[in-house]
Amino acid sequence: MSLLHTFTGFLQVPWSDYASNIGWGLLRTLAYTIASFVGAAALGLVLALMRLNRLRLVRLPAALYTEIFKNVPLLAIIFVTYFGLPSVGVKLSVFVAGVLSLIFFYAAYLSEIFRAAIGGIHSGQNEAAQALGLGRGTTFGHVVLPQALRLALPGTNTMFVDLLKSTSLLVTISAAELMTQAQLIASETFRALEVYLVIAAIYFAVCYPVSQCLLWLERTIHAGVPLSIGRRRRLKLAKTLLAGGA
Amino acid sequence: MTQHIGNVARETSAIVAKPAVTIHGLKKSFDGRQVLGGIDLDVPAARIVSIIGQSGGGKTTLMRCVNLLEQPDDGVIEVNGETICARGAVTCKDLAKLRQRVGMVFQRFNLFPHLTAVENVVLAQMHAAGIGEREAVERAVRLLQRVGLGHRATAYPERMSGGEQQRVAIARALALGPTVLLFDEPTSALDPESTGEVLRVMRELARDGMTMILVTHELPFAREVSDWVVFIDGGKIIEQGAATDVLDRPREARTRAYVAKYAASG
Repeated sequence: MSLLHTFTGFLQVPWSDYASNIGWGLLRTLAYTIASFVGAAALGLVLALMRLNRLRLVRLPAALYTEIFKNVPLLAIIFVTYFGLPSVGVKLSVFVAGVLSLIFFYAAYLSEIFRAAIGGIHSGQNEAAQALGLGRGTTFGHVVLPQALRLALPGTNTMFVDLLKSTSLLVTISAAELMTQAQLIASETFRALEVYLVIAAIYFAVCYPVSQCLLWLERTIHAGVPLSIGRRRRLKLAKTLLAGGA
Repeated sequence: MTQHIGNVARETSAIVAKPAVTIHGLKKSFDGRQVLGGIDLDVPAARIVSIIGQSGGGKTTLMRCVNLLEQPDDGVIEVNGETICARGAVTCKDLAKLRQRVGMVFQRFNLFPHLTAVENVVLAQMHAAGIGEREAVERAVRLLQRVGLGHRATAYPERMSGGEQQRVAIARALALGPTVLLFDEPTSALDPESTGEVLRVMRELARDGMTMILVTHELPFAREVSDWVVFIDGGKIIEQGAATDVLDRPREARTRAYVAKYAASG
């Protein structure tokens, strides 16, 4: 009975009127996700490198940052950034405040993942690179980082999907992303159950394929398939030489 | 087929009388504990010198000073006539250049696991020696064929046996055209068959005039491969001489004890 009621309820929401709302909301959700993830990954890497530094003076601020932002709710960070900062003269747009909050929060988690990954590279790797005359920058870029990225991939992928879902918290500052649109539609149609079920399904429809793609990427890299064009070119050249010369 | 590896090395073998590596008064301490207490050693060009001795006796540290992976506290080291460090200061202006001339092979191979064999050999050529991609790949393929691994060029290290990995590591070190090769216990992680493979490669290198310094515990291997054996204990050279002399007829009591112990186990 109530199931039937729900089904007829779906039909009573004029979905076609709201298609563009949902579409724009979805686009904004993706924009928040990508901008925040790029920023959080960059800041996370810097924090991870700081925490692996020899100098305590460099390690300490990064450790402090990570501990603070890991132990404060994301919603509190969003409120402080958007509602709090204007009282000290920092007035941010909704988009900037939203992206910054997500960056602050997720950089802390990503830095932990990156730190473990970089720290997990055997010291013999650095030593071999040094013995081959590779400089510090080259060693990091060509020896440590590619291996660390492989180690960090599973955790980073989880964080990416988590971040995408967390953009829904930006409904609290009316960020015009998917959840904000859902709230708008629900308040206009008084069909909260139907609307939020559909919106939840949309989040699922985006997150599930994304996480599957990232799993595929993990498996591909793990199987040793070279992703960079340079590596493919060198391997092809080597194969050609071996086929012709040997 | 064998001409390309030893090009540089053969030039130096023409001046056999001149030592490739000269070490004088070398001292090194870690946290106040003296590991090397004044080492004097000449390594003639185109020779294989084995350093043997107890673990913690300073033999690995001594070798790591030759390419400045460790910086000595005191003493002078010359490589091909150039003073690379003197009295605790590094005088070598270009560390990257030094490490192209002095290659190193590790106990645990330390190959780059995210790269295939050929890419392992290419990396430092392109990014340390500034060799162009095509030439680097060509040279890498030639070197892998030279160590008998042409067919494994596009395999990843984790898919290779220990002996294959160590031969890739040798090719990787050779790619930069060194005149001296350092081997840090190159066979202690290998089974006897793999040890044989590595031994064969080292013999060929020796024939081409490569100078090699080898740290090892495996006395049969040291006897097989080296011209000269140096026994180190407590950070000092106790005894040195032709391989057969030191290993078969040691003069010093400490050498005798060591040789007896390791001849039994190895």
